[in-house]
Amino acid sequence: MKKHRAGSGIILLLILVWLLIPLIVTIIYSLFQNWTGIIPRGFSLKAYAEIFSDPAFLSALGRTILICIIPILITILLVLLALFVTGLFFPGLERVVQIICMIPYTIQGVILSVSILSMYVANKTFLGNRLVMLTGAYCIIILPYIYQGIRNGMRAVNMPVLIEAAETLGASRIYAYFRIIVPNIISSVIVSSLLAVGIIFGDYVLVRNLDGSAFQNIQIYLYQAMKSDSMKSSAVFVVIMAVTFAISAVVLWIQGHQGKHSEKTAK
Amino acid sequence: MSYIRFENLSKNYGQKEVLKDINLEIEKGTLVTLLGPSGCGKSTLLRCLAGLETVSSGKIFLDGKDITDISPRDRGIGMVFQQYSLFPNMTVEQNIAFGLKIKKTDKNIIQEKVNDIINIVGLKEQAKQYPSQLSGGQQQRAALARAIVTEPKVLLLDEPLSAIDALLRHSLQIEIRRIQQELGITAIFVTHDQDEAMVMSDVIHLMYQGHMEQSGRPTELYTKPATKFVASFIGHYNLLDAPVMKKICGADIASESIAFRPELIQVSTEPVEDPDSYMIPGEIAFSLPHGNILRYAVMCGDTQVDVDALFGTEAPYCIGDRIYLSIRKDDCIYL
Repeated sequence: MKKHRAGSGIILLLILVWLLIPLIVTIIYSLFQNWTGIIPRGFSLKAYAEIFSDPAFLSALGRTILICIIPILITILLVLLALFVTGLFFPGLERVVQIICMIPYTIQGVILSVSILSMYVANKTFLGNRLVMLTGAYCIIILPYIYQGIRNGMRAVNMPVLIEAAETLGASRIYAYFRIIVPNIISSVIVSSLLAVGIIFGDYVLVRNLDGSAFQNIQIYLYQAMKSDSMKSSAVFVVIMAVTFAISAVVLWIQGHQGKHSEKTAK
Repeated sequence: MSYIRFENLSKNYGQKEVLKDINLEIEKGTLVTLLGPSGCGKSTLLRCLAGLETVSSGKIFLDGKDITDISPRDRGIGMVFQQYSLFPNMTVEQNIAFGLKIKKTDKNIIQEKVNDIINIVGLKEQAKQYPSQLSGGQQQRAALARAIVTEPKVLLLDEPLSAIDALLRHSLQIEIRRIQQELGITAIFVTHDQDEAMVMSDVIHLMYQGHMEQSGRPTELYTKPATKFVASFIGHYNLLDAPVMKKICGADIASESIAFRPELIQVSTEPVEDPDSYMIPGEIAFSLPHGNILRYAVMCGDTQVDVDALFGTEAPYCIGDRIYLSIRKDDCIYL
């Protein structure tokens, strides 16, 4: 038994090392100027100082966070409403919704961006706005992840019965849905939106094709940094990583805090 | 003037007629049971009253008002479901307060009412717990509290005890009845369990294949079943057709069939000649103990007749014993 546990511990450790090596190396690389020998020399925070004093970097980071949040909120709302309608009124249509939501899995970023461009670029309304196009494209890209996550959460909840119970107590269906059903699937919503954060943070293709250099997000900044200075680009990479970690940590902390709070009141 | 009235109510699902021309009146303050085998339409009738199903034709009146087309939230109806259906993200207290909050009741009044009802259903210690931390019986009591705290005009209970184990079910039956009488609630209880219906109801409406088969007080249904179906569904009647009766005891009966209850049959080892009784010879096939009753299956020719005897009062008969059954003609029901 003990041997068995030691074995699994070693495997876990190996996986951890395997996953962390690229990150550690990148961190070291961003901190040392001389990287020719076995032991790096010339410790310096120059690269970090440089990027943090570069307004272009900070605004790129800010833009990325912003362009992350809006499509995620839109998509979550759309999926929740779609599942409300199919769950209560048209259960037969749920399969159709599922198929529609799975289609983006098969669409390549390049194809998606080119299609969106050719369709809307001549549009004179707000749909022709590059940022609107980008937001729409992100909504499409993250749709399968958000949908699948929320639907899995929904399976654990007996929605029609709970809504009926709320209705007999005087609540409207949509109120009952957002007050009773959604709080019960909130952890699936959070997990799937974190997945979506990761996807949008890593996007280069869509933003490059749809907005060119006009909307410089963090990936484009990284790309340009890579062309000029490898130490700086490593630093950018580390910062991106830290920000995504921080977002996940904050969200998971909020969720865990809520859980603890309700457990405490329970006792 | 009755409190609840169904007028020529019908409900179809496509071609299938689930409720056929139901006419039913329910008095205020009574507990009425809709009893019947599964698929007889009793739950559908209840859901029509709650507004969770639309009706195909006919009208429903509650307290003199036509509520046929009113949305469920405006009907003033409380409902307890089979699957408890407590809101998992809220504590017992919050669950119970939900309906009052929707009605924008004053906070202090909510707290007061919630506390009162929690005491009535006996969940004081569980008030701050979540539904997942409660047992089935506690969950159902919380659901009951949630349904009655808003003081609905009528309380609907859709097989609320069928997911609960036998012992607890029995105490909850009595508890629900007590609360209903204490608060003077008009309640409609749906069940497929005739014992449950007997224990709880003022009036039982027995449904079969979408229509009302018989209505009456529990004892009435038990002692005077109006149709063969009622006799077979309630009280475990022995139901024999006339030709069978002729064959096993030589008696001619005027009606199509005869029904008699297992507990009204006398058993003896010698033939008893009595012009007021039917006498049927038979052989004990097997016996089953049902609590305080021993139920014999007696083969009379090819026909099985069930006979109940009090357990322990006499020496039990053995399998294969040849015996004589005598049934007083006055105890028989001719259907």
